[in-house]
Amino acid sequence: MPLLLSRRAFLLTGAALGGTALVAAVGGVGYLALVDVDGLDGYVDGDRAVLNAFLTIHEDGRVVVNVPRTEMGQGIHTGLAMVVAEELDIPFDDRISVEFPVEPLPAYASWFNVLQQRPEEASGPVVWIGRRVLGLLGFIATGASASTMALWYPMRLAGAAARQMLLAAGAARLGVPVNQLTTADGFVRHEASGQSLSYGELAREASVLPPPNDPPLKPASDWRLIGRSQPRVDLPAKIRGEPVFGMDVVQPGLLYASIRHAPVFGAQVARVVNEAEVRTVAGVRDVAIIDGRQVAVVAESWWRAEQAAQRLDIEWAQTDGDGINSAEMSARLQAALGSDAPYENINDGDVEASIANSSMSVIEKTYEVPFLTHACMEPMNATVIVREDGTAEAWVPSQSPLGVRTGVQRGTEWGSVEPTSITCNITMNGGAFGRRGDLDVAAQAAFLATRHRGRPVKLIWSREEDVGRGLYRSHAAARLRAVLGPDGLPSAYDALVAAQSVIESVAGRNLPFNPGPDGDRLTVEGGDKLHYAIPNRRIRSQHVASHVPIGLWRSNGFSFNTFFTESFIDECALAAGRDPLDYRRALLRNSPRHLTVLNRVAEMAGWGSAMAPGRGRGIAIEECYRSVVAQVAEVTVGEDGVVTVDRVFCAIDVGMVINPDAVIAQMEGGIAFGVTAALMSSITLESGAVVESNFHDFPMLRLANAPEIEVTIVDSGLPPGGAGEPGIVPIAGAIANALQAATGRRIRSLPLTTTETIAERRTRTVLPTSAV
Amino acid sequence: MVEFVVNGASVSVETDSSKPLLWVLREDLELLGPKYGCGIAQCGACRVLIDGVSSFSCITPVGSVAGASVVTVEGLADAEGRLSIIQQAWLDEQVPQCGYCQPGFIIAVTALLESTPRPTDTDIDETITNICRCGTYPRIRRAIHRAAAMLAER
Repeated sequence: MPLLLSRRAFLLTGAALGGTALVAAVGGVGYLALVDVDGLDGYVDGDRAVLNAFLTIHEDGRVVVNVPRTEMGQGIHTGLAMVVAEELDIPFDDRISVEFPVEPLPAYASWFNVLQQRPEEASGPVVWIGRRVLGLLGFIATGASASTMALWYPMRLAGAAARQMLLAAGAARLGVPVNQLTTADGFVRHEASGQSLSYGELAREASVLPPPNDPPLKPASDWRLIGRSQPRVDLPAKIRGEPVFGMDVVQPGLLYASIRHAPVFGAQVARVVNEAEVRTVAGVRDVAIIDGRQVAVVAESWWRAEQAAQRLDIEWAQTDGDGINSAEMSARLQAALGSDAPYENINDGDVEASIANSSMSVIEKTYEVPFLTHACMEPMNATVIVREDGTAEAWVPSQSPLGVRTGVQRGTEWGSVEPTSITCNITMNGGAFGRRGDLDVAAQAAFLATRHRGRPVKLIWSREEDVGRGLYRSHAAARLRAVLGPDGLPSAYDALVAAQSVIESVAGRNLPFNPGPDGDRLTVEGGDKLHYAIPNRRIRSQHVASHVPIGLWRSNGFSFNTFFTESFIDECALAAGRDPLDYRRALLRNSPRHLTVLNRVAEMAGWGSAMAPGRGRGIAIEECYRSVVAQVAEVTVGEDGVVTVDRVFCAIDVGMVINPDAVIAQMEGGIAFGVTAALMSSITLESGAVVESNFHDFPMLRLANAPEIEVTIVDSGLPPGGAGEPGIVPIAGAIANALQAATGRRIRSLPLTTTETIAERRTRTVLPTSAV
Repeated sequence: MVEFVVNGASVSVETDSSKPLLWVLREDLELLGPKYGCGIAQCGACRVLIDGVSSFSCITPVGSVAGASVVTVEGLADAEGRLSIIQQAWLDEQVPQCGYCQPGFIIAVTALLESTPRPTDTDIDETITNICRCGTYPRIRRAIHRAAAMLAER
């Protein structure tokens, strides 16, 4: 359209100039606002027709759904393809494929994560401005269990609008009124004449028609896919071992790189003692210092690069972190719990007065958790090319295309190259868990690519770099206090959490601004227990700095605070002489949603039935990511102190469910992830450096130790909630409570047990003798 | 020069004989199913069959497989592309999440069911020691039993 503004540009210009009606339309909740204005105009390209930002139909009937969220195992590509297929009226079969779109259209932006407004409710000028800004920034990220909440509604609209356009194209082709046409199984049908046309035949004509502003959505009673388990679209390729991960990227002329980071975080490279010698190793093409902080070896093979990197003799500059060990870190946390001026996150009622005026003694307990790493099965990697013509392209298993873009910008800047364009391809992620939102690996690879213009460089971190030089879940501690009222329930609840700020650390590495640590809600999430009816409640936080970089880690603050709080509530129940389930029921008397989930899991577990000596069950519940999840863990403690988690029962109210089997899988996986953290894992420091380096000393749950898991989805009929993280959240508390029931001993720090190797790749977990 | 058979085809690779089989498969032969996970025979993502034995290709020098027959996950489906029974069980049980470790599990289970067609849970615990960070273990166990039942019916 050389002379006319596109419809989209016209609307945006009008809205920018202040047309009230246009702002209302563009800032609304319909197709126009959520898909069209920030998306693209339909067009035809060869045999394929692009109908909107989310949907392409090929002439042969193949349907490509654009899902601008990272598939990292959670099944999001399947769930969001399902909602499109539902509205489009096509079978959910192998004619549907999913792609992560390369173009970062504003319609894909993760504004829900920031604005916390569901698209179906997000009208008004403030939201409109937020959407504009985040859309134009290209802020697309996969995290916070938010993808279904963010996109299920816009993508339904995208499917529904395309169906309307296909109907209109059918009507034009057949010369009949559109209201005489129906759709089914990928066809437009005219019942009266018996004629039918496939979507593939109509797509090209449909794509250039004006889209409807308010396509009708199917009522829930007509759903054939939503709420019914569908097979994952990505599994056949994964089961065949097809190359889908960043690690598998192959490009002509590929070079490989391995890297060494400072053992003590933040240390600069003083010098590479034997650079000349390493350069002479067969196959080595380059030894490069990146940003003064890392050393990389580039070679014709990754194995060669890694072999050469192992021979590097690097002198690192001294830092303030050099003398720090885990005991010092722990002491800092404990000192922070004595802070007289912590940040006040919540203060309801009057905690101090309630405690002072109580005739009961104060229950006060302190809990602690260690640093943890993500240990994604696919080690960190990125492939970047900076071409002779100045264009750059990256292939990265990332949770954040914006992070990749920013990383490539930063890395090329280090190499004094300004790319004329940057194309970001997001591959499948072999696990992510929050680790893959950072820009670090893309920046490093981009810098190396500037030194080898015209050749793609694939940087792979060894597992040792991944475990020992990671971006960790913060170590954390909390002091919880309560006084009980006459009914035995807490009348005052006071929590002080000490941790490093994840927001401050992530922002420092990735953003041009830093909100600082105060008020970091990720520090206290899971600590407030707002769903428990406690009249006086305070939660405060004290941030503790260290040289250790902190990263987002699946469920963040919930991963420790829910362990703290659900352990503590059990301790209060014990002090009151009440059963932990009944105690929670009383505390949840005003929260029917939570009570339903709690009762369901208790019923599943047969709560209250007798258990053999040495066995015990524990319960925990949390509200997180707009879902409510409760778990009961059953443990056995042998006379030799060996702990097994035998079974875990899990009830989750995740609101409306798109793909039930995917929710069940996320609960199963979250529980395994959480059991590993609860029983097995810690990252420890010695002389400023991480001690652990690989799976022999950072052990993972394996099949032999994995509990049986039973999951029930509680259908509340509420809008969708998140599923990726809730599964982890209650499990550590549930296990700690079960150990108390089994042994009478309360363990207040993670991991709850120590891991012993009993054979090659086989371990057992044992209660520490000192646990009291 | 090292000569061996991969997925039924003879190959000869001009390489250092100490280069691990994993990296020869991935870099020289572009067979990307076997994965790098740890490099120290801990996680099993790199597992391949060497003359039928489930092996850690990350610590196997390619020189040691001269003349041997290597099968990777890509070699499990039949000539028409039909999944092996174990792969089919994996699909039926919707086992993978991220999927990165699954080729190693599928190879390990292929070897297990070859030697022990109806494994007990203890057999499984002792043999299938791979790591899956996503935690697909309950489904892996179900898929093994399903595959064993399918093999018994065949």
